[in-house]
Amino acid sequence: MKVEPLLYGDRKVYTVSAFNRGVASWVARLPSIWVEGEVTEFRRQQGWQSVFFTLKDPTDGACLPVSMPRGRFDGLRLELTDGMSVHVFGRPELYEARGVFQLRALSIEPLGLGAILAGLERLKRKLAAEGLFAPERKRPLPVLPRRIGLLTGNEAAAKRDFVTAVQSRFPAANILVAQTYVQGQAAPGAIASTLRALEREPEIDVIVLTRGGGSFEDLLPFSDERVVRAVAECAVPIVSAVGHEQDTPLCDHAADVRASTPTAAARLVVPDERELRERLDAARAALARGAGAALERARSSLARDRERLDRSPALLVERKRASLEAIAGQLQALSPRKTLARGYAIVRTDNGIVRSAGDLEAGGRVEVELAEGGFGARVEVTRP
Amino acid sequence: MSAELTFEEARRELEQIVGKLESGQATLEEAVALWERGELLYRTCVGKLDAAQGKIEELGKRVDEAKP
Repeated sequence: MKVEPLLYGDRKVYTVSAFNRGVASWVARLPSIWVEGEVTEFRRQQGWQSVFFTLKDPTDGACLPVSMPRGRFDGLRLELTDGMSVHVFGRPELYEARGVFQLRALSIEPLGLGAILAGLERLKRKLAAEGLFAPERKRPLPVLPRRIGLLTGNEAAAKRDFVTAVQSRFPAANILVAQTYVQGQAAPGAIASTLRALEREPEIDVIVLTRGGGSFEDLLPFSDERVVRAVAECAVPIVSAVGHEQDTPLCDHAADVRASTPTAAARLVVPDERELRERLDAARAALARGAGAALERARSSLARDRERLDRSPALLVERKRASLEAIAGQLQALSPRKTLARGYAIVRTDNGIVRSAGDLEAGGRVEVELAEGGFGARVEVTRP
Repeated sequence: MSAELTFEEARRELEQIVGKLESGQATLEEAVALWERGELLYRTCVGKLDAAQGKIEELGKRVDEAKP
């Protein structure tokens, strides 16, 4: 289609209609393509030639108007609702009457399980590459939280299960409950902002994110990038208890600990009070025992020292006495009395002790000394 | 003194002290000091347990509920 400008001197000027037509014909040469996004502002009315909706990029909110001839749309038999993720096949066009760029849809496919899973897998890989799921980011849970933040949906069951389990273990636990939308289009944003509000509250030492069981789609908000990031950035340790045992929404990977149920989460965040008190008492008893043992050790070593002290002068006397006795024994052995006792006798003359018969003369007088007493005698005969 | 300690810190230190005392290496002076410190930590822990009130509040509403 030829677009003719008006001429004002050398200036070429296009009417709005001509401009739109020109751009439209240029846009119309673009190929038909598939676009993925979330349906918002879906509008369909009797009498309208087309149905309209806006396709929104969930990550940054970028928007694209979409229109589809009503007959073709009705032929698809789609229950299109806001928040639904879809693939739209269409060609880009400029709606000339209003100068609005849009996608003229030829076909719409709700994102099937396969596509959703593929999207989740991509997101998971991306966030893992950023280190959001790294084991070294995991923080230990407090033993005794001053206050527990509970983020839950409006359904009663998960909250009741958690609170009941907490109170049975630790009756005096303080819990701050924050309820928000956990399902539907508004859920991801609501969960992320409620989480941030909760972590700013005073004395919150741990947060539990919980939601009862639901379908795969019901749990999708807990795999939303905004929620996963909010969980990863949470200022206090966070426990994820979403869905049932078999469910693993992405927030589970970003949380510090994952619990399979709200009840299991309760067991993780509060100690068993009775057990805790018993352990404290046991520690106290061990303390007293340890101190007592130290005292006992000190006392007995003191007693040993004192005994040694007491005994040391005594030992000296003892040693002297022993050596004295040894000398006395020797003296005793040398004493002639001992010899006499065995039946020997000492013979003396006026010249002293007689050791040889040659010292004697027959008829000479001798004195004989015995062990007991003695006598005088005369020598009758001598033998050499 | 130990008012600033959290329950965890107090309990961890208490357990370390018990370990030291049980190893039997402490002198009498050390043992007495450890025992005194341990007793204080024990009372800190029990005090914190006793101080918890069992409040359930709602964020936004802040309605205090009596503990059941």
